[in-house]
Amino acid sequence: MSKRKVKDAPLPLGDCLTEAQQVLRERFCRQQLPDRPEGVEAQHKHLLELLKRTAVHGESNSVLIVGPRGAGKTMLLQCVLRDLLEETEVQKNLLQVHLNGLLQTDDRVALKEITRQLHLENVVGDKVFGSFAENLAFLLEALKKGDRSSSRPVLFILEEFDLFAHHKNQTLLYNLFDVSQSAQAPIAVVGITCRLDVLELLEKRVKSRFSHRQIHLLSSLTFTQYLQRARTQLSLPDNFPDSKFAQEWNEDVTTLCEDKSVEEVLQRHFHSSKDFRSLHMLLMLCLSRVSVAKPTIKPADLLDASRLCLADAKANMLHGLSILELCLIIAMKHLNDVYEGEPFNLQMVHNEFKKFLQRKSNSMYNFDQPVIMKAFEHLQQLELIRPADSSAAKTQREYQLMRLMLDHSQIMEALQKYPQCPTDVKQWAMSAFG
Amino acid sequence: MSTSSVSKGCFVFKPGAKKKKTVSLESYFTHGCEDAENSEVRFKLCQDLWDKIKTDTEILQDELNRKILDSLLDFTRKCSSTRKHSDWASQMRASEIPTAALVLGVNVPDHDMTFQSLSDLLQQSVTPHVASVQAKECGVLKHLMKKVLERLMGTVVAVDDEDEEETEQTDAYIHKSVHCSLGTLCDWYIAKTKKSSSGTPGKKRSSPVRDEQQQQQPPVVIIFKDLEAFNPRVLQDFILICSRYIERLPLMFIFGIATSPSTIQHMLPHSVSSLLCIELFQSLSCTQHLATVIDKLILTPKFPFKLNDKVMQVLISIFLYHDFSVRNFIKGLQLALLEHFHSQPLSVLCCRKQEALLHVTQLGHHNLERIRQLPSFKRYVEQQEAQEQVNLMTDDTHLKEVCQRLIKDLRKYHKNFYPILRCLHALTSSLPRYPLGKQIRELYLICLEKNVWENEDYQSAMKLLRMLAKDELIALLQKCAEILQPVKSKKMKNAFSQLEELLAKFKQLDAVAETASSVDDIITSPVKNLKKTDLFQLQKTLLELNESRRSKKLSPYEILRNEVLDFIDALVKSHLSSPEAQTLHEVCYYSLSATVRRHLNATPRTSIQAALSSPYYYLRNDSLKTEDGTVSNAAPDICIAYKLHLECGRLINLCDWLEAFSTVVSAAEGHDPESEHFGKVDEVKHARFIRAVSEIEFLGFIKSTKQKTDHVARLTWGGC
Amino acid sequence: MTTLLQHPGYEEEKLQRVAELLLCREVQAGTLLSLMGQPQQRCYPSIFIYGHRASGKSHVMNVLLKELELPHAVVSCVECVSAVLLFEQVLLSFFGCDAVSLLPRSPSLSDFVRIYRQQCSPSPAKQTRYIVMEKAELLRDTDANLLPALLRLQELVEDNVTVILLSEIVWDKFRPNTGCFEPLLLHFPDYSKGELQQILSQDRNPSYSAEFYSAYINILLGVFYSVCRDLRELRHLAALNFSKFCEPLSEGKVKETDTHKLWRNIEPHLKKAMQTVYLREVSSLQWEQIQQMDEKETGALRGLSAHTHVELPYYSKFLLIAAYLASYNPARTDKRFFLKHHGKIRKTNFMKKNEKTSNHLLGPKPFPLDRLLAIFYSVVDSRVAPTASIFSQISSLVTLQLLAQVSHDDQLDAPKYKCAVSLDFICAISRTVNFDIVKYLYDFL
Repeated sequence: MSKRKVKDAPLPLGDCLTEAQQVLRERFCRQQLPDRPEGVEAQHKHLLELLKRTAVHGESNSVLIVGPRGAGKTMLLQCVLRDLLEETEVQKNLLQVHLNGLLQTDDRVALKEITRQLHLENVVGDKVFGSFAENLAFLLEALKKGDRSSSRPVLFILEEFDLFAHHKNQTLLYNLFDVSQSAQAPIAVVGITCRLDVLELLEKRVKSRFSHRQIHLLSSLTFTQYLQRARTQLSLPDNFPDSKFAQEWNEDVTTLCEDKSVEEVLQRHFHSSKDFRSLHMLLMLCLSRVSVAKPTIKPADLLDASRLCLADAKANMLHGLSILELCLIIAMKHLNDVYEGEPFNLQMVHNEFKKFLQRKSNSMYNFDQPVIMKAFEHLQQLELIRPADSSAAKTQREYQLMRLMLDHSQIMEALQKYPQCPTDVKQWAMSAFG
Repeated sequence: MSTSSVSKGCFVFKPGAKKKKTVSLESYFTHGCEDAENSEVRFKLCQDLWDKIKTDTEILQDELNRKILDSLLDFTRKCSSTRKHSDWASQMRASEIPTAALVLGVNVPDHDMTFQSLSDLLQQSVTPHVASVQAKECGVLKHLMKKVLERLMGTVVAVDDEDEEETEQTDAYIHKSVHCSLGTLCDWYIAKTKKSSSGTPGKKRSSPVRDEQQQQQPPVVIIFKDLEAFNPRVLQDFILICSRYIERLPLMFIFGIATSPSTIQHMLPHSVSSLLCIELFQSLSCTQHLATVIDKLILTPKFPFKLNDKVMQVLISIFLYHDFSVRNFIKGLQLALLEHFHSQPLSVLCCRKQEALLHVTQLGHHNLERIRQLPSFKRYVEQQEAQEQVNLMTDDTHLKEVCQRLIKDLRKYHKNFYPILRCLHALTSSLPRYPLGKQIRELYLICLEKNVWENEDYQSAMKLLRMLAKDELIALLQKCAEILQPVKSKKMKNAFSQLEELLAKFKQLDAVAETASSVDDIITSPVKNLKKTDLFQLQKTLLELNESRRSKKLSPYEILRNEVLDFIDALVKSHLSSPEAQTLHEVCYYSLSATVRRHLNATPRTSIQAALSSPYYYLRNDSLKTEDGTVSNAAPDICIAYKLHLECGRLINLCDWLEAFSTVVSAAEGHDPESEHFGKVDEVKHARFIRAVSEIEFLGFIKSTKQKTDHVARLTWGGC
Repeated sequence: MTTLLQHPGYEEEKLQRVAELLLCREVQAGTLLSLMGQPQQRCYPSIFIYGHRASGKSHVMNVLLKELELPHAVVSCVECVSAVLLFEQVLLSFFGCDAVSLLPRSPSLSDFVRIYRQQCSPSPAKQTRYIVMEKAELLRDTDANLLPALLRLQELVEDNVTVILLSEIVWDKFRPNTGCFEPLLLHFPDYSKGELQQILSQDRNPSYSAEFYSAYINILLGVFYSVCRDLRELRHLAALNFSKFCEPLSEGKVKETDTHKLWRNIEPHLKKAMQTVYLREVSSLQWEQIQQMDEKETGALRGLSAHTHVELPYYSKFLLIAAYLASYNPARTDKRFFLKHHGKIRKTNFMKKNEKTSNHLLGPKPFPLDRLLAIFYSVVDSRVAPTASIFSQISSLVTLQLLAQVSHDDQLDAPKYKCAVSLDFICAISRTVNFDIVKYLYDFL
């Protein structure tokens, strides 16, 4: 909003915060590119080299970028492209085709997309092609009809690469790799996937045409680096309109990151996952709490945020169940204990529950079958229990075999949290025998 | 009959109407029917009779359904009116979809007629928007949606004619949009109601009764014809979607239920059934339905065509034991009708009186001969004196006159038969243990079979009647009087008058009753409290009572009672004689029960087995005639193979089978058993054997088994 | 309480109104609001909100988006029979119908994304666009890559759009096996008893005083809270039973303050309600009619599941009985039950020790057709010809769902069935043909 402001003119706090939010949200939500990818310099260099060769010297290439989700594969590629396009030569020469396994669900769609992205719809018009290969060849050929005799290099980027491997006969992959092998037109195929076993998905003929280049992003991040990253992610850039505010903010951030409790929290997250995105989620939650009332991130915020992230959803749901439903779950737990996790049906559960009621003196819980059934159904809708076999529709509901989708600890934890849970129910849950 | 109700098997669908065009029904009928000369006449009679029966049944159906249909209509009206209610409670639960659960008995194919008339009535009187769906046409939610939308928009097209182009474009829209959502329906409905509230004359015409408020908001009715057959998931999702639109779209459902309302609870989880506001409607049971049908179609002199006891028995038992289908019962009746007119040349006389008399005069010689051959007629002849006999056997014209008289007699007999039958039923149907049956059809069967008074149940019934207390007896007699009163025939008239007199006597008796009454209840009381105890007890006490009766003198009431019952007994004896006894009954009574059974209650398995075990039965080739149990070795290969396989256990060794087969076959070829290559397996025998086995497998008697490679498993038990 | 709903970028009074509408949900609304940030700011690509039914998920979302006038599309996944509907609704509510008309006949996901991009490239969102998906659990049943794509829609269409998924089911059940973009998880806790009280007391009958009504609600919760916490259900029940509650008042027996008397009047009634109207055994209309009637004739009205009587043809009854026996008796015991003179099979040695759990606990077992027929022929008294109609009755029973065919339909030889009726039902049936089924049941020996 206020990029054109003079640098040192101080802004009111509200605007500063708005601005800060703006900047940081851009970073967290949109994965705005950092100036230089930290942690993956080697891969960056390697990939850049590879693509340069295609873009400038017109060599064909094919490469896979493999790494866990949220490790920054796309980010890496984007950075490389950005740096690549700095050269004007490349810029006016290189063509890019972005495909995504989620969107282009079969090769026909993919081909249409390619045509569109190469702006060749009018050229193709309503030609009919015998085979996929012909069609692709035609497209690449059509590119030749440029000002220059040698055709322009094309960069194919396949996100969710593994999904393309599921297409019929893997035609697209086969043809792309084939072109990249034979010296028809200079193309580079860059696949991005999170599956390490992706090569196993490829047919032999496809695999044989793939230059087995892979770039792995298995981040070997130490905690200190992680902490470092967290700080950098939170801190504001130098070109922030209000330098004074930015300065304070950044100092606050540093102090925050030195705080002991914060470190513990981050430690926990670090051990669960090292990737960017989960970190972003965490920081995003913290950021969202910043307001004019409290213009800085406090350790408490971070604690809450991490609690929100690491909360056990099932326990949360259990908290909302009615007493009856809870009792049923306990009965199921007992059944599981007795029959070593064999599936059970409503009759058995009800039977178990009845046993409990008989042992009890006051009978405030003896509901009749249909009420129990209704509760049971509710549990099934919440998928806390799940039919054991697929032939659900065939049998009567009270005899349908079910499995409990909760484990011992979750139930117990839920019981502890449960608002005014009757003691006898608690005891029943604790008791070893049914 | 819809194929859906028959389990495994293949169905033959007649290839359209074009065949019928070429060959008229009549020529079908006349072709290969007994004595072609008067076949046209018979065909005509048959047609007329059937048309009459058909129309009657349809009227009957409507009467039977009227009550429940009316209540349904009221329900729909009520729903559409309460919807607009603004009182606090109904606001709180606005989201429920009004639903009528309509229970129609287990025979699904019979329901179609009901639903048809229901939707017609709805469209006439409540709302133009009615769609009915069947399970088998919507296995997936998408299809269900599509059907509902198409039907709804379609029906509107049917109702009003003026906005043709508008309907055009709706149709176009449906076809254009591959998917369809309730949203589109909603918009369409709003547009529609806008138009209708402005009031198109067409609508007015189609819906005479509709108050103003409904004019704005006619409900949208969706009929699920066979709820049980629907896929529960589809149904659930559909209901969920509908419940989202219920505020904007006055939906309501009608569930056609075959079994019992509790199936709704079984099919739908509570989360879904909580979206419905279910009202229950029970249609009358199919047995009652059958009772009325029999009463109107069979127990009436209106139709000259009758069934004899065996055929009747077959039809009724098919109904009671196999399908509760009234439709099939009537179909059976139709078949019998057709068969009768087709196979019995004398059925020309089976028609209204005048025609019959006319036809008699037109009878040809050999038809008259046929009459002479009729057993009943022979019996009649024997009763005549010698000269008359001669005349009857020789003189055609005389025979014709006699026949006319006999026909008239037969008609009179029927005229009197049914009223008396009803009287007897009225008297006996309330007796303890129902000696003559509870339903009138049971009594009817007894009467058809033989003279009812020869039946010991009848005797016991009479005994019981002779012990009735006065009030009961009088009530019953009055019932009888009511039955007799409307009947035209002379005999019945004076029977009625006599009955009246007797009743009058009872009235007078009241004056002097005081003395009698005391005696009565000593006697009658045991019977009253007898009703609970078992039959044996009953007879014992009866005997005792008889003893006591002999011992002491009778009270005036008892005398009168005996008088009355003797009178009844006389009536029965004179009018309820079994039709078999009537002369010329063959003309009206159809008796080939075997044919009917074969057609209506087929036994494919047994016929196949019959064909295999005794091929002569079908092939009529004398070389195949054998004493039962064995198969002549000249029989077709499959028969031989079958016979041999009957002798095996659950698993059959193919080698041994082949051996046995070849020996039998070579015996047939007449090799002498001593020659060294007797029963040798050559290629031909081998091939024949293989063919036979594969045929047997195809017929489903054996199947190949995993357990042993060179064995096959039998799928049938027993054999020798 | 409005302090929770303070946020720059939105007018005070709007937030005020929102706060009023979102009773007992200020906390959640607050978190959501702070996550959404100011309209022009980015928001997290996808947010997953889970919580029990009627815990105000959709309500909060709708109120926020409507009142604050943010660009949004609300889609209920139940309605989306096909993904097409989803695409249409989104495009319609963001870009109007002309965008919808661009969709090809059977659009793929990529078509949708393409069109979306076309539409928003000229007018990049000044405000965050929100897509709310209700009943998101159904997205799992549609084609596999719809859900992952929606989760990272922001990145795919390069627009400031946020997808908000609402569901009763925890996120763990959604995650595809190859993983996907992880949404921001947000839990809506169930209403506490107090909160329920507060909310229910809101929609009181105008003709009665607030405290009177809240007293009523208090009693209602006392009965039903242990069974049901679904606000919708409770509201429904409250509406239905209120008139009964007021009865003594209108008759002038008691006055509003005398809660104890009122309680004694209503309590049994509510108990009855739990058996009937809560289970929809009795429709709410009928329930209201009952309240007009007095106690003795209410006995006459039976719930749906009370009508279990089914008229069946004679042989169908026996077929059903045979089926029941076949599916609740172990096959090896048939000899003992149905052989006229089964040599010396004494109870002790044919009762196996190892099976102590009764078959009526485990439910019906499948059985082959010929076993059914064998038992049928031995239980039915008269001898029956194996006519076609016998077999057709079996399949009719299947269509009536009294039998269930276990094996696949296209398997012609040796189909397997299961009996799908309850013990009471079969007992009633066998009573009509006076056949003492209990004598033949293994469990009751």
